[in-house]
Amino acid sequence: MPRFGESVDRYLRRELLPTVWCPGCGNGSIVQALAMALARIGREPEDVVVVGGIGCSGRTPFYLATNALHTTHGRALAFATGLKLARPDLEVVVTSGDGDSLAIGGNHFIHAARRNLDVTLLLFNNAIYGMTGGQAAPTTPTGSRTSTSPGSGSTERSFDAVELAMAAGATFVARTTTFDVQEMPLYIERAIRHRGFSMVEIITQCPTYYGRLNRLGEAPAMLVWERDMTGEPSDDQHGWKTGVFRDDDLPAYGDLTGQNSVRTRA
Amino acid sequence: MKLSDTIRIRLTGRGGQGIMLAGAILADAAMRDGRQVTETQEYGPEARLGATRADVILSDRPIAFPEVEQADILLCLSRGGWLKYGTQVASGALRLVDVTAVAREPGDPEVRSFPWRARARELGDEVVTNMMALGTLQAVTQVVSVKSLREVLQERIKPALVAANLAAFDEGVNLGRDELSAPGVATAGRDAGIRGGEIHD
Amino acid sequence: MALRMVMGNEAAVQGALAGGCDFYAGYPITPATEILEEMGRRLPPRGGVFLQMEDELAAMAAVVGAAWGGARAMTATSGPGFSLMQEHIGYAAITQTPCVVIDVQRGGPSTGLPTLPAQGDVMQARYGTHGDRPAIVLTASSVREAYTTTRKAFQLAERHRTPVVVLLDAVIAHMREPVELPPLPEPALNPWPGSSGTEPPFGAHPFTPFGGPSPIVVTGLSHGEDGWPRTGAGQATERMLKDAIAGIAEDPSLTQGVERYCMDDATVAVVAYGITARAAHAAVETLRAEGERAGLLKLDVLWPLPEAALLEAAEQVDGLLVVEMNLGQLVMPVRAVVGGRTHVAHLGRADGLLLSPDVIARRLQALTASVRS
Repeated sequence: MPRFGESVDRYLRRELLPTVWCPGCGNGSIVQALAMALARIGREPEDVVVVGGIGCSGRTPFYLATNALHTTHGRALAFATGLKLARPDLEVVVTSGDGDSLAIGGNHFIHAARRNLDVTLLLFNNAIYGMTGGQAAPTTPTGSRTSTSPGSGSTERSFDAVELAMAAGATFVARTTTFDVQEMPLYIERAIRHRGFSMVEIITQCPTYYGRLNRLGEAPAMLVWERDMTGEPSDDQHGWKTGVFRDDDLPAYGDLTGQNSVRTRA
Repeated sequence: MKLSDTIRIRLTGRGGQGIMLAGAILADAAMRDGRQVTETQEYGPEARLGATRADVILSDRPIAFPEVEQADILLCLSRGGWLKYGTQVASGALRLVDVTAVAREPGDPEVRSFPWRARARELGDEVVTNMMALGTLQAVTQVVSVKSLREVLQERIKPALVAANLAAFDEGVNLGRDELSAPGVATAGRDAGIRGGEIHD
Repeated sequence: MALRMVMGNEAAVQGALAGGCDFYAGYPITPATEILEEMGRRLPPRGGVFLQMEDELAAMAAVVGAAWGGARAMTATSGPGFSLMQEHIGYAAITQTPCVVIDVQRGGPSTGLPTLPAQGDVMQARYGTHGDRPAIVLTASSVREAYTTTRKAFQLAERHRTPVVVLLDAVIAHMREPVELPPLPEPALNPWPGSSGTEPPFGAHPFTPFGGPSPIVVTGLSHGEDGWPRTGAGQATERMLKDAIAGIAEDPSLTQGVERYCMDDATVAVVAYGITARAAHAAVETLRAEGERAGLLKLDVLWPLPEAALLEAAEQVDGLLVVEMNLGQLVMPVRAVVGGRTHVAHLGRADGLLLSPDVIARRLQALTASVRS
């Protein structure tokens, strides 16, 4: 039996490290957690496709030793829809950010959930646009400062991705954080094993923009902040409850239409 | 540009009167007669009640241009269709209309009106008006054979409704024959190459 | 085989299935909706996949995703949807993804004339994406050609690893004509040829979808033949694009995509395509009957523009008349190719009405008169 670390390494492209991400970014922890989940599930790397959008999260597929489909801004789920129905035997995992999935890609997010398409979405939520330099996102908490909401901060209300996914019909919905490094791979594993649309929202720290603009400190301080923000939200403080909010067994898209492609690996 | 062996037919009516089906049956029947055919339909946003049209061009040669700019034969089932297309016809065109679509204009031998809708109601259902009108078109113009029309009608219409539609078609043929024996028709549609039921090249 | 009245959109579906199409994703839009509906009826019983997506961006994305899953994939749309698809047509181009897009042209810009024909997407089909790309754009002027062209589009997409656009128009799409279509081949899984896993996945190598012996990296970033991003200046993508553009420029099935009618002794000629070529054909017939030496160059391939045929015609005639249902699109590259060798006039309209044989014949006569004086 290989040691656990070795089996995880099968799913990582260590030769590409260090990543493109800033020092202290939480995305590396998510890559690690995804590799651990894939190792526990045990599919061959060539039978897995990690589909990314555009933005910091969109670069995730490059660090996995699986197939990578690095697509366009906001549309990763739409690419994944065609791919999964053409090749239902491939494991399809989408990595997408909060701006990618909830702003420019909001339409594809709700419709993938509505169809109960059998793919997994890992929603990297850092509450800000990182790649373009710290602009407000649909997840930016009211009052938070960004480069496009300076001064007293964002006056807009923010999306709750978990509520949105459940309302749209996702059948596995969970939220965790990069602070919860033990819980995170377990949630991802459950999500991938789930048949139907599964979403794990992962609160991830962006010390370069969100942390700096909102005086939250460097990565270690932000992880503590994540821990503190994930209790019960109170009236005067934005918060993210963590846990598994839905895990329902309902027919997935291909089951309903009876038209999962006959294409299998030749 | 008009070729003498090319006949441009426009069917028009209200959405829901079966104009598209009548156009399709006419075109299909003409194809079986061995003629060159194109069929185009006007698509509007109104699925019901708007003035719709189907254009069928018949020729003995390949049809270069599928649009009917001026019809040689107009078949019209509704007032709206008459108002929209009643005058977009070639000189000397033959216009076959339901009596409710246009009052017969005295002294205009090219507008022949028929009580298709009323007769269809008497036969049991106004939905067969389109097939009755096709029957009349056939009898008056002979641009397509009865045999092919009856064949296509039986294939295109739901089995349960075939008998009623065939009865309407035959009634339409009779109405057309009665009209042919009336004065005036012998000159109608002359420029379209149609005279007394004959087609001229 | 039997003669049957077939609608242009239905013939395009039949052509796609004959070309091996086994995946369709689309979104309803007039006048292309019959393609969507017919695919919904025809594909699933053949073991294919049919998807109605949430918009045209998603439809084109799903087509590209499906192609990487090994499908022969296509979509169909009209102007507004074609505009939305441009981003992913560009993505398909840079990722060398074979797929087919039918654009049934209607009056534009914007919502325009939803039910009326136009030929206003000719330049968008070539230049609609940002950046440069190889472009194959075919067209059809009859129901029969809607079938043959769509079938051919799948062969070209595979041969050149690039999205192929079929430009129809509202008249061809909705028109019914008698045609005999060959029976469809039995649905079969056609494996892509280059699945050995030993060749690089990009560049001048056969398309290899996911699921082969080794993982593949696909990105819309500039990349090398191995697929890995190369985003510094002077990197490999420009060379791959140039190779691909050269490849289609040399494909005889594209460069010879011209039909000549009455051209042997012509002194003036119409250049036309799609529905307009039919009217032009009738106009030339009329003028010939009147003793005028008129001819027609009917373009079946719009891009790459059949330059050799245009040059040859330009050397021969005293004037060319480009006739198209837009306010002057293909006439520009035609003028560039002709380079002053002959006079190039334009006849266009964009009001939803067809250019009739009479109008074309009169314009051609005027051109003849002006070049003689």
